[in-house]
Amino acid sequence: MKKALALTLALASVAAIAVVGGRAEAAPARSTGTLVGTGATFPFPLISKWIPEVGKAYGIDITYSPTGSGAGIAGVTARTVDFGASDAPLSAQQLADCKGCVVIPWALAAVSIPYNLPGVNGRVHLNGQTLSRIYLGSITSWNDPAIKKLNPKLDLPDTKITPVYRSDSSGTTFAYTAYLSAASPQFSSRVGNNTSVNFPTGVGARGSSGVTGVVKNTPGALTYVDAAYSIQNKLQFATIQNRAGRFTTPGIRGITQAVSQLPKKVTSLSQLKIVDPPKAAGKLAYPISTFTYVILPTNSTKAADLRKFVYWAVTQGQRFGPPLFFVPLPTSVKAFAYRELAKVKAGT
Amino acid sequence: MTSVGYDPAAPSPELERRGIRLGDVLFQGIAVAASVAATVLLGMIVYQVVSDAWPAIQEFGLAFVWTEAWDPVQDSYGALTFVYGTVVTSLIALLLATPLSIAIALFLTEIAPRRVAAPIATMVELLAAIPSVVLGLWGILVLGPWVRDTLEPWLQSFLGWIPLFSGEPSQAGMLPAALVLTIMIIPITSAICRELFARTPRDLMDGAMALGSTRWEAIRGVMFAYAAPGIAAAVLLGLGRAFGEAIAVNQVIGGANSINISLFAPADSLGSRIAAQYQGATSQLQASSILYLGAILMVISLVTNVIAQAIVTRFERSRRAY
Amino acid sequence: MTTIPGDDRYDITIRSAGLRRRRITEKAFAGLAVASALIAVGILALVLGTVIHKGLSQLSLDFFTKARPLFGESGGIADALVGSVLIVGMAMLMAIPVSILVAIFMSEYAGPRLSVALRIVLDVLNGVPAIVVGIFVFGLLVVGRGQSAIFGAFSLAVLMLPMVARATQEVLEIVPRSLREASLALGVTRWRTTVSVVLPTAIGGILTGVVIAVARVAGETAPLLFTSSIAANAISTDVTHALPTLPVAIFAFSESADPAEQAMGWAAALVLILFVLVLNIVAKLVASRQRRKSEGA
Repeated sequence: MKKALALTLALASVAAIAVVGGRAEAAPARSTGTLVGTGATFPFPLISKWIPEVGKAYGIDITYSPTGSGAGIAGVTARTVDFGASDAPLSAQQLADCKGCVVIPWALAAVSIPYNLPGVNGRVHLNGQTLSRIYLGSITSWNDPAIKKLNPKLDLPDTKITPVYRSDSSGTTFAYTAYLSAASPQFSSRVGNNTSVNFPTGVGARGSSGVTGVVKNTPGALTYVDAAYSIQNKLQFATIQNRAGRFTTPGIRGITQAVSQLPKKVTSLSQLKIVDPPKAAGKLAYPISTFTYVILPTNSTKAADLRKFVYWAVTQGQRFGPPLFFVPLPTSVKAFAYRELAKVKAGT
Repeated sequence: MTSVGYDPAAPSPELERRGIRLGDVLFQGIAVAASVAATVLLGMIVYQVVSDAWPAIQEFGLAFVWTEAWDPVQDSYGALTFVYGTVVTSLIALLLATPLSIAIALFLTEIAPRRVAAPIATMVELLAAIPSVVLGLWGILVLGPWVRDTLEPWLQSFLGWIPLFSGEPSQAGMLPAALVLTIMIIPITSAICRELFARTPRDLMDGAMALGSTRWEAIRGVMFAYAAPGIAAAVLLGLGRAFGEAIAVNQVIGGANSINISLFAPADSLGSRIAAQYQGATSQLQASSILYLGAILMVISLVTNVIAQAIVTRFERSRRAY
Repeated sequence: MTTIPGDDRYDITIRSAGLRRRRITEKAFAGLAVASALIAVGILALVLGTVIHKGLSQLSLDFFTKARPLFGESGGIADALVGSVLIVGMAMLMAIPVSILVAIFMSEYAGPRLSVALRIVLDVLNGVPAIVVGIFVFGLLVVGRGQSAIFGAFSLAVLMLPMVARATQEVLEIVPRSLREASLALGVTRWRTTVSVVLPTAIGGILTGVVIAVARVAGETAPLLFTSSIAANAISTDVTHALPTLPVAIFAFSESADPAEQAMGWAAALVLILFVLVLNIVAKLVASRQRRKSEGA
């Protein structure tokens, strides 16, 4: 019996190796290199489209794992990955810790506010003030007077609001808390603006996927997430009031108007902060738009492949954006990206 | 050479010349090396965790353990929320699992006929075989919604006046996490209790019943008294398991940043917070604070397991004296 | 038990109310015990039932041959299966020889105090939570180098070591001294005795310990989260890079909003549970055969 067992195990392992070997051969073998990256879940829909295209164009195999902007920054800082992706630009301290990194904007999209409120006859209108109060815990139900004031035509139930936030370190949190801090001094002092903040109330979930999932399964829940996730999961998102007083959607026009106030020549990342755009931006400007960035070490053995990848992403990759509600980068930002990319050189 | 008698373990002169003794030395050598490696490994784990946590230990000191804070914006951190979450979820799991495990063990050793006991014992063991990530998957998609829609409203309907059961029902929080941990602990604790009950000397039990006690009274008076230290050890081992569980808890506990008295509200535990935030720490201080959480977790798991093992060893020693 | 036949009026054991109450208590607790066992079995049935019910429909050839999907696409778990097999296999290669050697040292060479000390070391190692092992291996190996399947396997090996070592040591102690003495008396060297006489006798118990340890680590997520989680969505056997694994894939699927990914999570859970269950059953078969052999001897 023992012999039979041993024989079976041996045959099984031979069979397994054969299958595995066969499958591995089936994968294309003409890659010139592999790039491993991690980071923001926000641009994952777009990067997913880029990966096979870059493979076809240059034969570079790209591995990208959406783990959150913070993990992207930490990963490239510790050099556990070749590139990191983050919706949040690096702080001065993080840049110093990274020991020679450049931060390059490579996509542009908006943070939508999806919610789960069945049986309501229309889209909910919200603004920065009410969102701040929801996430601070001072507004707890959907028929709160503050929300009713913004939605006079809607029949709002008294369902409890469950604000859902990112439990991992997230660039979407960074953009969202930047907007809420601009809209509400109380939010700014009590919670602040960072990729990871101390939300006083609500439920945390990991990744853009996680927060979308919680909202989908929880009546009354609301969260902040890249528009592509809301649409992919058929969630209704709120319209947000901008400085012009209009309620806008996170669509192509809303984002395009939000970035219309950029200077002709972009010289630093701080100029790329586009949340809460001024009235001059346009009537349809969506107030929670954000750039998203790729972080590269300036000194890398994979510099050649990295430069090919990022250059392609910033130019040809942009045309994959609009179906996913990503707007092609403005020319001034592209120019900035090229200049930063030039700093990436092959090193020891 | 032969004057003190024939030593069977000593190699003969020919073998000695061929250096066969070398085999013994080598073999013992690699066995020693392996044991040293295992010990060094343990030391390295402790050293790595403590040294990575050191910046946070220096910055916050021991007060970190009872400070309720977790603010990456202010770079101010404290472990209390997570210690509270770990302890409360594990204690609730213990309260629920221990009587169940003892009852199951009793059922398997005293009540069930052998033909029934064997398959049921196997099924309880299979519960232990379910990977924690699968329990967490089930927890998110099945248990959580049921807790939110059925269990918590029901508890609130007659216990709602107690702060523990106040607040809005939620599919993520202490209660679902405690329930998942309960399911994990039951097989461990009941398996140990089963062993203990099966080993109770039959003559003690028979003697008690001959004196007129019912089965249950004999169990209560004799078996439990005999097995008490073992049950304590089993409980502690289950507790240690509950403390250390990170993934399944992370999936259902809700990732909150502060303590909420209600069991329905989202919370967080040591292991869960480490799993959620370690890779994305925004500053060096946050990273080492998370390692500090890991060090605290390591200490409480170690202490619980060591106490459990100590009870088991003393228990075994006194039993051998029987 | 003690039922006295005959007329109840003359049955002195039943007439006293105290005994009646004690009998009722007895039945009540027996009932509770049965109920508890039923609850445990019920929970198992519930969890397994849900996994089977929701996962079975997802099983298809595509599921077993395609890699995990990118955003918005369909796929399978083939890459995670390959990764898991490779990583668990490597973990076994790393852990088993060392564990057996440690156990041999404890039972054959070490004195009683050293043996107890090593037992404590192994028990403490066993008590280190998997997530702490994960951050340990991350800090030690991954920082500066990047993730890889080898580091993932190492972290699982760290978890396996105390389990296999303790199980092996316990089995080695059971091997009768007379066997060793007989072998030595025949002139066999110490190390040959251990390798050719003692180990084969204990092989059943060792196998059981190994199989149980493999079943445990096959489902471990936490250490792999830090050592082998950033992996391409394609089947790969390159162990110098991170490989996808079944538990990490299930973890990701479980938090997804996409019902298709959730369904894949159930199916992947089904595959993992089947694998773990089969291993547990094999372990039990080996253990019972071993018991029968030693009882018959």
